[in-house]
Amino acid sequence: MPKCTINGKEVEVKEGSSIIEAMQVSGDRIAHYCWHPGLSVAGVCRLCVVEIEGNPRVQIACNTMVTEGMKINNTSEKVKDTVKWGLDFHLINHPLDCPICDQAGECGLQDQYMEYGKYDPEMAEAKVKKHKVVDLGPTVVLDSERCILCSRCVRFTEEVSKTNELGLFNRGDRTEIGTHDGMPLDNNYSLNTVDICPVGALTSKDFRFRQRVWYLKDGDSVCNGCSTGCNIKVYYNKEGLFRIKPVYNEKVNGHWMCDSGRNAYKFVNREARLLKGVARGVEMAPGAAAKNANEVLKNTAGDAIALVLTAQYTLEEYEAIIKTFVEEFKTKKVFFWINNKETFDSFDGLLSRGDKNPNTKGLLKVMEKHGITATWNDLSAGLANGSIKTVVVAGPENQVVFPEYAERLKELSKAQNLIWMQSGKNEALSALTGNVWIIPMKTFVEKDGTFINYSGLEQKIKKVTTVVSEALTLTEAALLLAGKNLAMPMTAPFMPTNQRPDQVELEHRKKNEFVFRRGSL
Amino acid sequence: MSETKVLTEFYHLPEYQTLAGYKAKGGYETLPKALKMQPQAIIDEVKASGLRGRGGAGFPTGMKWGFLPKNGEPRYLLCNADEGEPGTFKDRMMMERAPHQLIEGMIISAFAVGSHKGYIYVRGEYVFPIECLNKAIKEAYDAGLLGKNILGSGFDFDLDVYRGAGAYICGEETGMISSLEGLKGQPKLKPPFPAVQGYLRKPTIVNNVETLAAVTYIVKDGAQTYRKHGTEKSAGTKLFSVSGNVAKPGNYEVPLGYPLLDLINKECGGMKPGRKLKAIIPGGSSAPVLTAEECAKANLDYESLAGLGTMLGSGAVIVMDDSQCMVDMLGVLTHFYAHESCGQCTPCREGTGWLNKILHSILEGRGRLQDIDLLVKVADNMKGKTICALSDAAALPVLSFVTKFRDEFEFYVREGRSKVKGTTYAEMHH
Ligand SMILES: Cc1cc2nc3c(=O)[nH]c(=O)nc-3n(C[C@H](O)[C@H](O)[C@H](O)COP(=O)(O)O)c2cc1C
Ligand code: SF4
Ligand code: SF4
Ligand code: SF4
Ligand code: FES
Repeated sequence: MPKCTINGKEVEVKEGSSIIEAMQVSGDRIAHYCWHPGLSVAGVCRLCVVEIEGNPRVQIACNTMVTEGMKINNTSEKVKDTVKWGLDFHLINHPLDCPICDQAGECGLQDQYMEYGKYDPEMAEAKVKKHKVVDLGPTVVLDSERCILCSRCVRFTEEVSKTNELGLFNRGDRTEIGTHDGMPLDNNYSLNTVDICPVGALTSKDFRFRQRVWYLKDGDSVCNGCSTGCNIKVYYNKEGLFRIKPVYNEKVNGHWMCDSGRNAYKFVNREARLLKGVARGVEMAPGAAAKNANEVLKNTAGDAIALVLTAQYTLEEYEAIIKTFVEEFKTKKVFFWINNKETFDSFDGLLSRGDKNPNTKGLLKVMEKHGITATWNDLSAGLANGSIKTVVVAGPENQVVFPEYAERLKELSKAQNLIWMQSGKNEALSALTGNVWIIPMKTFVEKDGTFINYSGLEQKIKKVTTVVSEALTLTEAALLLAGKNLAMPMTAPFMPTNQRPDQVELEHRKKNEFVFRRGSL
Repeated sequence: MSETKVLTEFYHLPEYQTLAGYKAKGGYETLPKALKMQPQAIIDEVKASGLRGRGGAGFPTGMKWGFLPKNGEPRYLLCNADEGEPGTFKDRMMMERAPHQLIEGMIISAFAVGSHKGYIYVRGEYVFPIECLNKAIKEAYDAGLLGKNILGSGFDFDLDVYRGAGAYICGEETGMISSLEGLKGQPKLKPPFPAVQGYLRKPTIVNNVETLAAVTYIVKDGAQTYRKHGTEKSAGTKLFSVSGNVAKPGNYEVPLGYPLLDLINKECGGMKPGRKLKAIIPGGSSAPVLTAEECAKANLDYESLAGLGTMLGSGAVIVMDDSQCMVDMLGVLTHFYAHESCGQCTPCREGTGWLNKILHSILEGRGRLQDIDLLVKVADNMKGKTICALSDAAALPVLSFVTKFRDEFEFYVREGRSKVKGTTYAEMHH
């Protein structure tokens, strides 16, 4: 464990650390565009310069290893001047696009200019013009002029997705990135290139021009797109959710997430949601609909009741609802609705798993705890011979990953009474008539709880925001279905009205709040 | 005139290109001797000879070979015959006139470093040298000098010619390795150095054509005999490609330490009639330029030239007489480097283009006086700040031209025309 001194502070680092890694440990700021902890070292942007005692030339921190007793600084005039010039080289051919650039507000160039810039530009020559609005594939658009050729995206497709679509073409200041032979950038990880692009060169077709980033807040969560449970940040404001980005977690997803997972914000937004409850054709508040269903449940208690669960709810919710059915309604007919059975165990080798549920392990755990052994065949048989009269379903949150949804709905609606809980709209569901209850549910960003991923890792999720305030969690629904009243939520500890729980400390306000909160590039 | 001809003694003989002709002059006599030596003994001999790489950087060859890991991992020997440095054409002559000399040098070197596979990386435009090499390699294979069990020694070595597509950057050793690997010709970060992790991530030695050919002579006559030529720190002879305004441009072999002006006046027959020496770039276009006064003090060895703030480089001596406009000359060079930067490192990619634009603004009469200082600032910030030395190669001529011939640049900015030629850029280049 070599010790070194960085800007006067002594730090001990892991054997084989580069200076830039040591600076992450010591918390010293260092400019960098091409270095990314999840990719190989390229050493091309030349911003991460440091001075090392005894070395007349400045060195790059990303490709220089720390040795015992090394004295490093990146605050000297020499370093500052080199970084200023490094930035100037980046900017001489850069377009004046900030007002229309999607990256404005989270742009590495803007950040650097604030830190080292504010000087008079020396470039008096015409800029090199490069391609704009280059369609790279189904998800990503390239603006070559803004690209600073850090090669992060190229290295990503070579080293992480291993799909090799991208390359650097041409030479000198005509160099541009692009796709080989016009092959599209089309893989399930393509949007990571947008995340790691330090400038606005790669933009997400889905997100571009939809929001200025400084109008967005963000919150941490866990993706519910599959059983990997990638750690994510959800970006939202009062208009809804706009995008999802991965958050580093060494044990789960590293730095990345898949493109399918990024769509998870779409079914959360209000336009996709069930807003009103329904009880036998009558619209009412979600809570009222649930309470209304208590009548029929009371009357059919015992083996005539079946509970069907998808694996997209939290551990705590499963505990509440299964307990209610076993103890209050005296039934052990609890069934696990498994989507896409054939591909359930598949894995793409990187992150995405065939089990498209965030909490299969959690559901199985609670079922086991309550000694549940019923199989889907028991359910089908019970429906066919009429022994099962009332079916309660906690339907999928993400309907897209339930391809046989309509089929199942048809099968389950054979029951005399169908009580269906779900967060998203569905035409076939709304079209059902007769003894049908529809209860709007909250989504994963609207509640606290626990998911257990494929490997058995428990991950807590916290409420990020509320989209449909009237919607219920499964825990709340369980209470109401059992004829109880909702417990009043605990009042939050007292907080003066002029403060928010997510208050940003004053010293950080010196920077754009968003820039502070988004973490490092 | 210098009488030392270690490498080029028989270059005037057409038959020297063939195996028979080469053998008739003692060719392939050193190889059996070398194959009986201990490989380490050859490396020691090369170290003792003081041979320094002839490709540009002048790095001690024996020392480079010593960096190879000592385990039995497969390793490669690459001959750098890209010869991309403007003004350099010495390797071409060797490949055309004495291909077997290079092949013998490579077999001995491969044996010394323990390599069983070598490539000669030649620039694509060198169609005729490639033909000559291929013919000679075939002859060598047929005679059992290449391939399995060479001359019954138990040593195997295969050799191929690889034809590059013609980019200056493919002459840089790691750029060459990328190109050979089928990737874009782009230099790689060092460390790791090729001797540890090179071609296909295996230990690799990259040496220039002339360097490898010299190995034969060192093994043949011994390090001490080789050391008789040249100076203490710059041993041996060297090929110089002289171009520009001299009476007889061409390749000349002289011992290191030879006075620069003797090369011009004796070997090359002096300047063109009626013309005066103005400046010389002594080591390929990336070397800082010397004024006529400095040339008088310069000897052609690594130390003397370093003492004058320039370098021996690849040994391409570019001579300019008093009719040359230095602004125009520098314009040619900056254009070359802006075209050839591989585009990886920001200071080089953007800096080479910027320098070129500033110079062409000056040349086209749009220059500002502050542009002259700006050239210096930009070049200063490109120097030593990149993966490979192309950025330095682009910056050094700018710094030396602007500093040493500043009056010509200032005149050009003020009057919009060349101080020397009296004409504008458009008139110079109709
Ligand atoms: C931009 C650039 C171009 C180069 N071109 C050549 C070349 O054409 N031929 C060559 O032998 N060395 C060239 N070199 C030097 C090589 O990188 C390397 O130092 C040399 O091949 C090593 O051989 P040596 O030790 O025998 O000199 C070039 C270096 C740079 C930075
Ligand atoms: S990439 Fe950054 S500097 Fe460039 S236009 Fe976009 S916001 Fe502005
Ligand atoms: S597009 Fe972005 S990530 Fe890719 S090389 Fe350019 S700046 Fe870097
Ligand atoms: S210095 Fe220039 S030529 Fe060399 S690797 Fe960097 S960009 Fe390429
Ligand atoms: S981060 Fe080190 S050179 Fe780019």
